[in-house]
Amino acid sequence: MRPSRTSYPLSYPLSWRLMDALEAVAAAIWPRSFSAAVPWLMLLPAVVLVGLLVLGLWDMADGSFRTLDTATFLPSDDYSLANYDRAFSEKLFFTVASRSLIGSLIVTVVTLVFAFPYSYVMVRTRSAALRKFLLIALFLPFFIGQVVRAYGWLIILGSQGMVNEALGLVGVAPIRLLYNYPAVLFGLVQYMLPFAVLMLAPALTAIPEEMESAAGSLGANWVRTFIHVVLPLAKPGFIGAGLVVLTLSLTDFAIPAILGGGSQDFIANAIYDQFFRTSDQGMGATLALLLVAVGSIMVGVVFALFGAGTLAMGRSK
Amino acid sequence: MKGDRSKAVTLWTFVAIALVMLSAPTLVVLGASFTAGNMITFPPEGLSLKWYAEIAGATDLRDAFLRSLIVATICTAISIPTGTLAGIALAKYRVRFAAGVQVYLLLPFTVPLIGSGIGLMLIFGKWGLLGQLWPVGVACAVINLPFMIWAVTASAASLDPDLELAAANCGAPPLSTFLAVTVPAVTPGIITGALLMFILALNEFLVSLLLVDARIVTLPVQIYNSIRSIITPDLAAISVVFIAVAAIAIALLDWLVGLDIFLKSK
Repeated sequence: MRPSRTSYPLSYPLSWRLMDALEAVAAAIWPRSFSAAVPWLMLLPAVVLVGLLVLGLWDMADGSFRTLDTATFLPSDDYSLANYDRAFSEKLFFTVASRSLIGSLIVTVVTLVFAFPYSYVMVRTRSAALRKFLLIALFLPFFIGQVVRAYGWLIILGSQGMVNEALGLVGVAPIRLLYNYPAVLFGLVQYMLPFAVLMLAPALTAIPEEMESAAGSLGANWVRTFIHVVLPLAKPGFIGAGLVVLTLSLTDFAIPAILGGGSQDFIANAIYDQFFRTSDQGMGATLALLLVAVGSIMVGVVFALFGAGTLAMGRSK
Repeated sequence: MKGDRSKAVTLWTFVAIALVMLSAPTLVVLGASFTAGNMITFPPEGLSLKWYAEIAGATDLRDAFLRSLIVATICTAISIPTGTLAGIALAKYRVRFAAGVQVYLLLPFTVPLIGSGIGLMLIFGKWGLLGQLWPVGVACAVINLPFMIWAVTASAASLDPDLELAAANCGAPPLSTFLAVTVPAVTPGIITGALLMFILALNEFLVSLLLVDARIVTLPVQIYNSIRSIITPDLAAISVVFIAVAAIAIALLDWLVGLDIFLKSK
């Protein structure tokens, strides 16, 4: 047992006394015999925090079974599957859903095509300065946020924007570059690029450079080395990056809203409109829940097929 | 080696396009903020700082920025202890049902933002918390928590269990061991995570949009509302504040832990 506090010599620092007091408190409320529960205690705050989200999902599930009473503009008291029926039968929702799904698939492929060379050069370059430059060029837009970046694209692509002014100088009439599908996809690719590169880079770092030299000395040119050595070994990174890009672009709100100008709504925009334009909370909750289901199933299937890739938390061994 | 030149050319073509895509909006916003005209035109009508003077006097933009700072601070203050403890627990202990816990803690990441935002809006609404600023901070902590946990678990590789045993062997009680040995080992992760959480909350748009009302708009929401009407250069000037904050965060990150930490393989 430790000596009582009064027996401390005078030179005993205050911070030690404080620590001893804290230790005593910790030992009192959490005796050693509870030590098996320590990891759970440490996880508790995070579990509670995420619990808020679970409660929210539960509320959404409840709301999704209530239809909007058009007489009172209140959700009905009785439950029905009418909202789900509408979600699957109405043409508007089908259009929006297929637009988002096809769009996010295109965005994923294009983003990975650009992210791979970027991370490869960043990981393999021998110049520390170049590596830092590429990292900063990546983090700056990542840290600036979607709205400001979309605003930048409005300035560049607008009808009186840079591109059109430049075209005007060579005598080309202004082209409508904004508020269409390609503009939204383009905006999403540039928004997703930092995510994809950051997920790919660790996977590429893990590939020993000697593997590539070995393939080279066995007579493979760089294209074959990439196809047969680098790309297969980078698979965990591609899975992580592809998954993140696919789910984030499928569910994005800001880019379709700003660069699509209301004519190119993705699912998130349709959900928002249900809540804040038509005030049909039940329908909005239904769509949101379906989106959550699609997102979770996609993540689940990819994890089940390929493992968590670079997304795993905790013990790696 | 033969073909090295074509490899470099191919790779660099992609990298150059990616660099333009990544940097163009930032550079253009920076340039537009210094225009002397009342419209954003190209080429600009001369240089001036008048839009900076304008935003310095605009109380609505200043207040919105302050509110964003408050939200980011609350979010960071919540997520540092929460994410650090959870990250260490996942990395250090062999937890029962660890896979289930991981799936659960990944929920904020797998549930799309619009879903999380609406779910939180519904329960905060039910509890009568909407219209205040702190629930927005809590919401940002919830949706970004996986990033904090990832940052901590990624640096937990340097967490040598023998060190903790050594500390205990030297007579350190559990709490001292935790604070003097365990926490310092994951400090790079905590710093990285905290900076990420702050920046993500400062920029958080969709969840803010769902949780705020007209009286407490945060800066990204304010900018969003404004670009839907007319694009004036004062927005470019206020956007430069975001660029400046991002630059400071990157400099801090590089100075404290080094940007290379993101290239390390787990």
